[in-house]
Amino acid sequence: MTERKAKEENMGECVLVVDDDREIVKAIGILLEGEGYEVLKAYDGLQALDMLLVHPVKLVLIDVMMPKLDGLSALMRIREKQNIPVIVLSAKGEESDKVLGLSMGADDYVAKPYNPQELAARVKSHLRRYTSLGDIHTRSRASEIVNGRLLYKTEEKVIYADGEAVKLTATETKIVDLFMRNLGRVFPAEEIYRRVWEEEAFVSENTVMVHIRRIREKLELNPKEPEYIKVVWGIGYKMEKQEKCN
Amino acid sequence: MDTKWKNRKNAISFIIFALGVSMAFGGMADILKNKPSRVGIWQVDELFEEDYQQNYRFQEYITGCFWNFLAMAVGGDLQTSWGYGMDGDYYCTYYGDEMIGGWNDEWEAYQDNLDDMQDIYEDMEEEWERLLQEGAYEEASAYREEIDAYQKELEDFQREVYIVQEYGYKEPTDEEKKKTAQKYHDRIKGDKNLLYTISYDGETLYANSEQLLADGKMTAPKGYNFLLYFDGEKVRIVKDGIEQDIYGDGYYREESSWSDGESARWYVPGYVNFPVDESIKKVRISIAAAEEPVLYMEGSYDAVGYIRYDNSLYWMYDNCRVREKLLENAAMYVVLGIAMLLVALWGRKSRRETEAKIAAIQGRIWIECKVILFLGLLAAVLFFMKSSNYGYWEELSIAFCYDYEYYDYGFAYGLADLPMYGREILRNTPSITWVVLFWGIWLIVNDLKHNKKVWRKSLIGKLYKTFSIKSLSWPFARRMAYRSLSVFVIAVFYALLVMGTAFWRNGSYRNEMALGFLAVIATVIFLFLAYLMGKKNMETARDMEAISDRISEIRNGNYTGIEGDFAGHDLQNVMTELEDIRHGMEKAVEEQMKSQKMKVELIANVSHDIKTPLTSIISYVQFLKQEEGLSEHVKDYVRILDEKSQRLKNMVQDVFAVSKAASGELPMHMEELDFGKLLSQTLADMEEQIKSSTVSFRTDIPKEPVMIMADGQRMYRVFQNLFQNAIQYSLAGSRVYVALQADGNGAMAVASVKNASFMEFDKEKDFAERFTRGDKSRTDGGSGLGLSIAQSFTEACGGEFSWKTDADLFVVQVSFQIVKK
Repeated sequence: MTERKAKEENMGECVLVVDDDREIVKAIGILLEGEGYEVLKAYDGLQALDMLLVHPVKLVLIDVMMPKLDGLSALMRIREKQNIPVIVLSAKGEESDKVLGLSMGADDYVAKPYNPQELAARVKSHLRRYTSLGDIHTRSRASEIVNGRLLYKTEEKVIYADGEAVKLTATETKIVDLFMRNLGRVFPAEEIYRRVWEEEAFVSENTVMVHIRRIREKLELNPKEPEYIKVVWGIGYKMEKQEKCN
Repeated sequence: MDTKWKNRKNAISFIIFALGVSMAFGGMADILKNKPSRVGIWQVDELFEEDYQQNYRFQEYITGCFWNFLAMAVGGDLQTSWGYGMDGDYYCTYYGDEMIGGWNDEWEAYQDNLDDMQDIYEDMEEEWERLLQEGAYEEASAYREEIDAYQKELEDFQREVYIVQEYGYKEPTDEEKKKTAQKYHDRIKGDKNLLYTISYDGETLYANSEQLLADGKMTAPKGYNFLLYFDGEKVRIVKDGIEQDIYGDGYYREESSWSDGESARWYVPGYVNFPVDESIKKVRISIAAAEEPVLYMEGSYDAVGYIRYDNSLYWMYDNCRVREKLLENAAMYVVLGIAMLLVALWGRKSRRETEAKIAAIQGRIWIECKVILFLGLLAAVLFFMKSSNYGYWEELSIAFCYDYEYYDYGFAYGLADLPMYGREILRNTPSITWVVLFWGIWLIVNDLKHNKKVWRKSLIGKLYKTFSIKSLSWPFARRMAYRSLSVFVIAVFYALLVMGTAFWRNGSYRNEMALGFLAVIATVIFLFLAYLMGKKNMETARDMEAISDRISEIRNGNYTGIEGDFAGHDLQNVMTELEDIRHGMEKAVEEQMKSQKMKVELIANVSHDIKTPLTSIISYVQFLKQEEGLSEHVKDYVRILDEKSQRLKNMVQDVFAVSKAASGELPMHMEELDFGKLLSQTLADMEEQIKSSTVSFRTDIPKEPVMIMADGQRMYRVFQNLFQNAIQYSLAGSRVYVALQADGNGAMAVASVKNASFMEFDKEKDFAERFTRGDKSRTDGGSGLGLSIAQSFTEACGGEFSWKTDADLFVVQVSFQIVKK
């Protein structure tokens, strides 16, 4: 998919960016407009709520600490009426902050200073799922395993990320198959090696790690901070079971 | 010199000294005790006189016999005879009728008779006067004769009673005298050690030997070396065939006028001032004494089995030999003792050391004990004296008690005799007593000589010191001390009372009643006081328990307030003060927690405030990077901006993490994990970075799982930092060694990362200190917090983090306790 094609694809999708720091709003605006989105800007929570009333907004990027009405309160007000994806953008990068934000109804939590590419990818991922896929649960079948943005069709042995099929090598597919069928289970490197390569492992850690790194690059939005295929340090590897499936 | 040998030498020399003193002293006392009383110890040849006849007692005995024989010859009264016994003492035998005691029934009978006779006499006088008044003169004069005869009778009887009262016996009749003389003769005649022949007017009256005749031949039979002959004028004595000088200058003098060493005058008649009177002119007496007397006995088959004759001479002879032996022994002791003392003279110095040691031991004894011990010693000495001198002791005490002429059995006592009794008592006391007494005194002298102020170490002083209140200023302490003192005083009084009750048992019934009553009251009071004090002390003990609990709780960080009421208790002040301390500590800890929290919050806020502008910077730098058509130098600027903004971002995140970890607010997810796998995974995760670096990694990680408890995510961060450091600061082309081993006893798993530094270490640098970097001028992407984070995280996980430098080698060790399955 070329860049131009993507832009065209995204054309007309309306994204609301809310932050009291005008430069950040502007920067995100430039970033997202570059991706072909229509960007609306608001500088506090009240303003954001007003704009939501007027414009057909598909996705909200909102800062937490803002004057007049803070981001989390605004989020709760949004959730009273709308089901659109909301990505919380905050300088508070603590685990507890993330948990708080997600439990208040946020679909994603991005810590400042963000990685522009990652932010763009997340926006795209959430919009795709929201607009083109709708509610995944209603369409899920027995032969399909859904985990967050990922959908694995067991019969075809094909994995979809944000509804888009991901091309994997045979070994990678085997690993993904193992992980998707056993969501949340931790596999030691030796076991993965044994089950995928079907031979006894000798120096497995690096081999397994190389493949996992490649899978991450294909599936994860930010391969350096993976959300799905995680290392359980000192034990093994696992596919994180995502609580939020919408 | 060897200490052991020195000690031994000291002890030996002291023992020699002690033995020497004891022997010399005891031997001397023995000599004084056993020597004949009229011989001085300097008269050595007389001291060891083998001839018993040279003893004054022999002279006295022979004289006594002589006088008895004189009395027997003239038919005089013979009452007592002095003999000489086995134990070396005189004894007195009475051969006449039984003596009449002082205040016995017989005496009273005499008195009654006398009184009756006097009454009768007075009645007769009255009768005579009545007759005179009536005018019956003839009758009266006849009656007068009767009265006079009765008066004479009364006077005779009065004299008799007087004699009985005064001398204890009554005048015997001639027949009685003769009977007594015969009895005496029977008693001594079997004793062939003493031969005698008594004749009067040529007729032999008494004799116990045919061989000895009172003929004045002056030849003694064989075996008899002493011969005395009285020819009615003078006494002649031949001893060993040599005529003895008896009369000297012809005058007899009393004992008191004898000069020292002069042998006693024979108390026999024939002196110028003591001539022979007419009654004994016809008396001839021969007495012979055996040279070596033997014991004479006679069977007595109806009673005791045998009868011993007088045997005085034998006992004299025997005692003389015994004494000689005793004296020889004693002299040997003296000589040996003196020899030992001379030897001990050579070790005077070491003996002084021993004396000092003994004094040191004495110094530790309470003075009261010493006094009691010495008094006990004196009592023992007196007891010895008394038990070995019963008779003399009695007499001495009588002499002390009645300082007047006290008559009993014809003996007279008075203070004037004290020296004599004293001397006898001292003589008869066993000589060991004196040795014991000497050492007792020696100990006192030794104590006084070496220990200054001997009274310092005293029971009273110790008690005073123990219960001294002076040094206490805290009211409770003073109260406590007073309480202890009063308990002690009460206990002492109670103990004295109990002891008094026990010792006064043999008092009268009334005494016992009173004492028992007192004891009951004292017991009740004592128990009551003991209960009161015990109650108070128990209260204090409970308070102390509460206080100690409080202290340990405060130590453990529990600062909640105290329950319970301590008003009026001994420890009220302490409790209040402890409460103040607790309050202060609670406040201080709260403050500290608050300030710690504030610090973390401050850092959190600051990092948040930095992050917001940093977001803009990073965003716009990104746009700049994407800008096309920029000149090369501008692109370079943008690259620098990008690098620095990234570094700033890392730094802010690291600072936040370190401050959280240091304050202990870092959330941890502890789980059991394989240490080796953790290292492998981390290495695998960083594989690309390692491959692109100039160093290579060598690993030594066991295949077997090494399980530890830790937070995997944090430990990944720890080793990521360590490996990054190793990559960054290692010498190009060198190797980094990563190893995992169990330590010596297998309790700890130790992971080590060793690398060779590309530059020299500053020895004083603390690498884990925040913001410390190996190279100050270096401008890479690190925050300088790598080691600091590694240390904080490791410690937060409960592990140990240490590092050391050895030349260019930098070694980091991370150790965890192994979890045993």
